Amino acid sequence: MRNWRFAVNSGFLGKRRDRFTEYQPDRTLEEKFKLTRQIEGIEGIELKYPLDLKDIPLAKRLLDDTGLICPAVNVDIKDAAYFCYGALSARSAEARNRAISMLQESMDIAAELGAGLVTTCPLADGYDYPFQVDYTSAWGRFIESVKEVVSYRNDIKLALEFQPHEPHAKIMLSNVGKVLHVCAEVGLPNLGANLDVGHSFAAGESPAESAALLARKGRLFYIHTNDNTGEGGDWDMISGTVHFWHWLELLFTLDRVGYEGWFGGDVTSKHIGPAEAFDMNTRMIQRMVKFLKRAGPGEIDRLLQKDGNIAETFDYLSQCLIRGV
Amino acid sequence: MNKLAIITAFLGSVKNRYMTYQGDRTLKEKFQMASKVDGIDGLELCYPADFEDLKKLKELLKQYNFGVSAINFRSRRTGKWWRGSFTSESLSERQEFIDEVRRAMDAAVELDCYRITTCPLNDGSDYLFEMNYIKAYDYAAETFSAACAHNTNVRVCIEYKESDPRTRCLFGNAGETASFCQWMGAENLGVTFDVGHALYAGERPAQSAVLLAKAKRLFYVHLNDNDGRWDWDMLPGAYHMWEFIEMFYYLRQLGYNDDWYGFDVFPKEIDTVDTFKAVVALTRKLEALTDRIDRKKMEKLLNERNPSKTMPYLYSLI
Repeated sequence: MRNWRFAVNSGFLGKRRDRFTEYQPDRTLEEKFKLTRQIEGIEGIELKYPLDLKDIPLAKRLLDDTGLICPAVNVDIKDAAYFCYGALSARSAEARNRAISMLQESMDIAAELGAGLVTTCPLADGYDYPFQVDYTSAWGRFIESVKEVVSYRNDIKLALEFQPHEPHAKIMLSNVGKVLHVCAEVGLPNLGANLDVGHSFAAGESPAESAALLARKGRLFYIHTNDNTGEGGDWDMISGTVHFWHWLELLFTLDRVGYEGWFGGDVTSKHIGPAEAFDMNTRMIQRMVKFLKRAGPGEIDRLLQKDGNIAETFDYLSQCLIRGV
Repeated sequence: MNKLAIITAFLGSVKNRYMTYQGDRTLKEKFQMASKVDGIDGLELCYPADFEDLKKLKELLKQYNFGVSAINFRSRRTGKWWRGSFTSESLSERQEFIDEVRRAMDAAVELDCYRITTCPLNDGSDYLFEMNYIKAYDYAAETFSAACAHNTNVRVCIEYKESDPRTRCLFGNAGETASFCQWMGAENLGVTFDVGHALYAGERPAQSAVLLAKAKRLFYVHLNDNDGRWDWDMLPGAYHMWEFIEMFYYLRQLGYNDDWYGFDVFPKEIDTVDTFKAVVALTRKLEALTDRIDRKKMEKLLNERNPSKTMPYLYSLI
């Protein structure tokens, strides 16, 4: 089993809110770095654009001072002030160009910060009602916009993060298949996916299968780690607290397909502090990796190659997990 | 015919995890907005937000000739009641909840409204082994019992919802809530039946309405729609046209005819007044469609239980 590196998504280090409640205080960039530095096992911080990157020299200095690495710049293209009717797919050229420029600027910033990757979750590109959007032209614009972004420079990758819904009832880029479709349409090697494990559960997928599909096409660039109840809510829970076996399957698969990217933590802290939430998220994943090492990926792989394997596989795995029963 | 009310919280800025839509509006501005929507008869008022100045509130109600369908008591607040209000482990927090509900009940009576409703969103849990369910139900019974005893003429309604902001709320569906009301025992404790929440919980709205009525707990109805995956608070009938018609059909039979419908519909990027104009038009349209159903014929069809006859009949009405 590989040893992956862990980062936190800085978006979870400041004030959080849901429809009803606000959690945690606002924190400055300095405070976010300080907090991240205290979490064992965390080597990186995924920075938000524009929020965290208004002062690039400051971000660079903080990265130098703390020794943290920025594995990805996470670009927010959902501000309703500009993207009320979509961003990458918007009918308005002004809105589209704004989203494209923001992503291109972020690519330059990523290069400056030594991050090879820009990631974005295109949440403004969605709809609520039937007959609200002309899907044919909206998808055409979406793909053209993405193409324009990734054509800008080929030394920085763009990872699209799919999500089935929220804030709209339907998000256009809602599942792994659509990401692969966009990659195929655009046809450039620096376009791929940020597989958010919770979004994959919310979309009704087995994340291990989604990871395998993306990896087959060389499109698995980044992973956001978290969990949820699987009923559709993107709860950003601690990894493995709900879908324990699915998480093991994902980690096993990531090892098999040779995933060498980062694990970006995408976990909400609500009542416990962010440090505690990210610490537990990292430890849960590390322990699951350790368990797989103990069980032996070779043996699991051998069992996987047999038809009708499920009884034998779970007999083996459960014996490894629960000793003496 | 049921009267129509807008929940005031939906007349100002509305939020989700990522966005804020529309602007903050004063109470007066909310009244003005609602008055621009033809067919709106009143408001569901939010407690404590709308009750800073009771005298002024009364004046506004009089000035705009609005009725009050219910007082919506906020059981979750930013900055307090972090781990639930009526299920909080803290005795003082539970007592505070009881005191506040009593004040809200008194305020309701002042406005000649005999119904308060609360959606216990934050009383629930995110993770397994987070909440002691045995104690939580006991606390809920104690607190609601104390609140209901304060004034038995005021009906106290629990608006169930499966999740959000908790991954699982304590009162998630019609059955759980009806059961709680029944074993808790107070006759003035019942249910606000939010159609969107029922759909989100995987229910058939008509069936839940009947169950609640049979349990004598169908106290109030909120109308909105969603895609069944989340509580989007959408225009009634946008997704579930026939579900609404089936529900209206039964509500008439159950005698929910001379009461109120409260609307919680989310005006995102669409203008608030336009949104509620559409809400009124769609609601009345769905009711009109329901009225086209010949009751005698439908009774016969229901006896036959043959969808190959019933469905074509329904479609012959549109």
